[in-house]
Amino acid sequence: MRYIPNTEEQKKEMLKEIGVSSFDDLIKEGVPQSIRLKGKLNIPEARSETELEEKIYNIAQKNSNFYLMKPLIGAGAYRHYIPEAEKFLLQREEFWTCYTPYQPELSQGTLQSIFEYQSYISRLIKMEAVIPSIYDGASATAEAALMSLRLTHKNKIMVSNLVHPHYRETVKTYLAPHEPEIIELPYKNGLVDLEKLKILINEDVASVIIQNPNFFGGIEKLAEISEIVHSKDALLIMVIAESISLGVLKAPGDIGADIVTGNAQSFGMDLNYGGPYNAYLATKKEYIRQLPGRIIGETTDVDGKRVFVMTLRAREQDIRRERATSNICTNHNLNVIAADIFLSLIGTKGLYQISLLNTKSAHYLENLLLKSKKFEKIFDYPFYNEFLLKSKEDIATINKKLLENNFVPPLKICEFYKEENLKNVLLFAVTEVLSRDNLNKVAKILSE
Amino acid sequence: MKLIFEKSIKDRDGYSLPGDLFKEIKIEDCLPEYAISKKKKLLSEVSEVDVVRHFTKLSKLNYGLDDGFYPLGSCTMKYNPKINEKLASLNNFTYAHPLAPEETVQGSLEIIYDLNKLLCEITAMDEYTMAPAAGAHGELTGNLIMRKYFVDRGDKRHKMLIPDSAHGTNPASAAMADFQVVEVKSNERGTVDLTELARLMDKDTVGLMLTNPNTVGLYDEGIKDIEKIVHHKGGLLYYDGANLNASLGIIRPGDAGFDVVHLNLHKTFSTPHGGGGPGAGVIGVKKDLIPYLPTPIVAFDSTHKKYYLLDLGSKSIGMVRAFWSNFPVLIKTYVWILSMGPDGLYNASETSIINANYVLAKLKKYYKPAYDRYCGHECTVTGKEYKKYGVKTLDIAKRLMDYGMHPPTIYFPHFEPYAEETIMVEPPESESKEMLDKFIEIMIKISNEAKTNPELLTTAPHNTPIRRTNDLVAAKRPILTYDDELKLKDELKYKDKNIDF
Repeated sequence: MRYIPNTEEQKKEMLKEIGVSSFDDLIKEGVPQSIRLKGKLNIPEARSETELEEKIYNIAQKNSNFYLMKPLIGAGAYRHYIPEAEKFLLQREEFWTCYTPYQPELSQGTLQSIFEYQSYISRLIKMEAVIPSIYDGASATAEAALMSLRLTHKNKIMVSNLVHPHYRETVKTYLAPHEPEIIELPYKNGLVDLEKLKILINEDVASVIIQNPNFFGGIEKLAEISEIVHSKDALLIMVIAESISLGVLKAPGDIGADIVTGNAQSFGMDLNYGGPYNAYLATKKEYIRQLPGRIIGETTDVDGKRVFVMTLRAREQDIRRERATSNICTNHNLNVIAADIFLSLIGTKGLYQISLLNTKSAHYLENLLLKSKKFEKIFDYPFYNEFLLKSKEDIATINKKLLENNFVPPLKICEFYKEENLKNVLLFAVTEVLSRDNLNKVAKILSE
Repeated sequence: MKLIFEKSIKDRDGYSLPGDLFKEIKIEDCLPEYAISKKKKLLSEVSEVDVVRHFTKLSKLNYGLDDGFYPLGSCTMKYNPKINEKLASLNNFTYAHPLAPEETVQGSLEIIYDLNKLLCEITAMDEYTMAPAAGAHGELTGNLIMRKYFVDRGDKRHKMLIPDSAHGTNPASAAMADFQVVEVKSNERGTVDLTELARLMDKDTVGLMLTNPNTVGLYDEGIKDIEKIVHHKGGLLYYDGANLNASLGIIRPGDAGFDVVHLNLHKTFSTPHGGGGPGAGVIGVKKDLIPYLPTPIVAFDSTHKKYYLLDLGSKSIGMVRAFWSNFPVLIKTYVWILSMGPDGLYNASETSIINANYVLAKLKKYYKPAYDRYCGHECTVTGKEYKKYGVKTLDIAKRLMDYGMHPPTIYFPHFEPYAEETIMVEPPESESKEMLDKFIEIMIKISNEAKTNPELLTTAPHNTPIRRTNDLVAAKRPILTYDDELKLKDELKYKDKNIDF
């Protein structure tokens, strides 16, 4: 076997050195005969590399040719252009095959890269302490909710129902054992209903979870939300599902967020049918001891050089066991390196420009579709790069036309929201991978 | 080495934007004034060349599996086949949107469906969820499944038994499911003390989380009795698959009576660690527990000959993440299993067990085994004999770096009186006898150095990019970002900062 260097001869020699006559002899004590597998596993016989390649290529052909298909869908997963330099660098085995950086002397590459990423995110969202890697936006939001329960010693959480539906589901799953009261905060005209927030909130609420831009793409009135939330001593958890939006939008830390969680998939990660993505979880330094997961800090080595190490470790599972702030251990580290390289490449100007371009091209498409008279607005709300439109035509027909023309159709919002007025409503998303020509074509197809 | 921020030059570009920037549209017409950031957020300004050199240089400060021996116990640092990477990066997979219509992702769904069948056969379980992103995420999922199972039966169980040798994630995961963690002591042979287990297992107890072979590398020979004790009291048996590399084609957890199994695809199934993920911590269950899995799972509609996402309904614990899985990790696993076949999988476990016992046999004269028995796929020895020379296990580990090897796992597991100053060596099947001989030779050399020149060890490593770090300072005065450093710049006096580009 090409991945197993030792020959049968070598194995025999080693068994002799161990002092046993056979492999069976070696394991007979540990593996009782009664539970030992009789015979072979019933799986296909080994395939050569060429046979395997052919098999997997054939399976891949059963997917659509997604490279050529431009997505009009986002909903928590956004296709952005990923510079080739990032993909190339990421494949360096030193990043790709190494273990968690427990030994800083052999891991400065990983450690410094994470530190740089923490620094980037801290500037983007204006928070002091950034946990670089929770698995994804959903699990990070759930961890943030748990953190708010620990910080406030309260057991009630309020969640805007314009937080990504999967994130809301995950929050419920993670919190279920602690039996908290979870209050759904309704929306009005595509944004959080501020009047309802004022009525529903009280001093028993640990935290209020708000997504911005929200699941409908809408831009929330965060300053007003923050004032209401803080007037009742609750924590404001702000969720970002599309981190490129930070290029043009205000930093959550500047508008009153206490904890921020962000899906970092847009920072140079492939769609990959849903994962692995990554999420950051950030807060103020005063809350640092309740953070879940790993964080990197700067210090010196014995020679006085600046170096980076895993720090504030007394919160983690390998030290605190059942008293840890979370069980998280392996996370999505390689995605952090990807995001650090991505942000370094696009830089200050690139982030702003991509974010600007995404905003403008989404508004361009909305305008074209409204002009076609085949769509109408259902809410009059400010949005970033995703927007809702009600179709006058049947959605199945629209999807068919779009697929035939190599576009991944927008999300049918009724898959997640059952309201009567959201029937036949689509959630469009636009990023820089859709050119003006692409958008004109979409409008043309859909107005025919 | 300089940070990327210290290489930044105003107005430098590393990215090419599309030519058409929709200049006729004004941002003020799109977004309300209250939402727009007044100032640009400062990242760095570097060219593509700067970035490529920066990260290439950073990478060279790391030690990867392709660089050499990586015997981290309980981590299964085995070779990551290159064909896996290529096949996982086919455009039809990587560009697939998770909410794209099902008819456009039949290939991705087929792989998930087939992989489920393969994993079920390898472990004798009935159904897997591919959702959990990592081992601990899988443990949490498994605990929530067990919790919901009992809640639905009106059975108020609230305690979880966990051996003292378990990974820290086990108690932490059980605690996240709001279970009270009860520690089960190991006996003098390093395995679960059956009398103690029988005493602790009661009708308030959910069950037992067990790693087998355990984290000392020993098979629990009492596995059949353990199963009887736990099931007799109506409990469930959870298998932590961190150490499955000793079991392929030898024992299947399902046959041994386990109800819930988690597998770390980034360990036994050859997918890379990436410096701490992404991996996947898939969870397999027996039939009665299938309705409780996270929703959805992949199913096949034989009438229409198509794969689809099946919603598991109200018994499901719900979702544990956004979307479905860490999909590329699943492809790599699938490709690896098909590359190996039944004989290859058996060979992997057989070879890794022989490797570990060979290392143990050769080292035990120099480093006392925690338990003097044959081990599974990893062996635990201790460095406590060297304390009298002023040398700790940590020093032995650091000295190994000078010889170009990654140290084994140290100080874990830890429970007295057997497992102190531990060194846990896991030499997976991808390590050759020659490599093991080299490691053994170096370890013996280090044992001599410990006696004759202990300072060489206590000041090690000497040849690495950096030397031992001041971790206490890092925790006392956290500098977590470049801006933190800038605020303290008058106090911080670093050596070589500007020379080392």
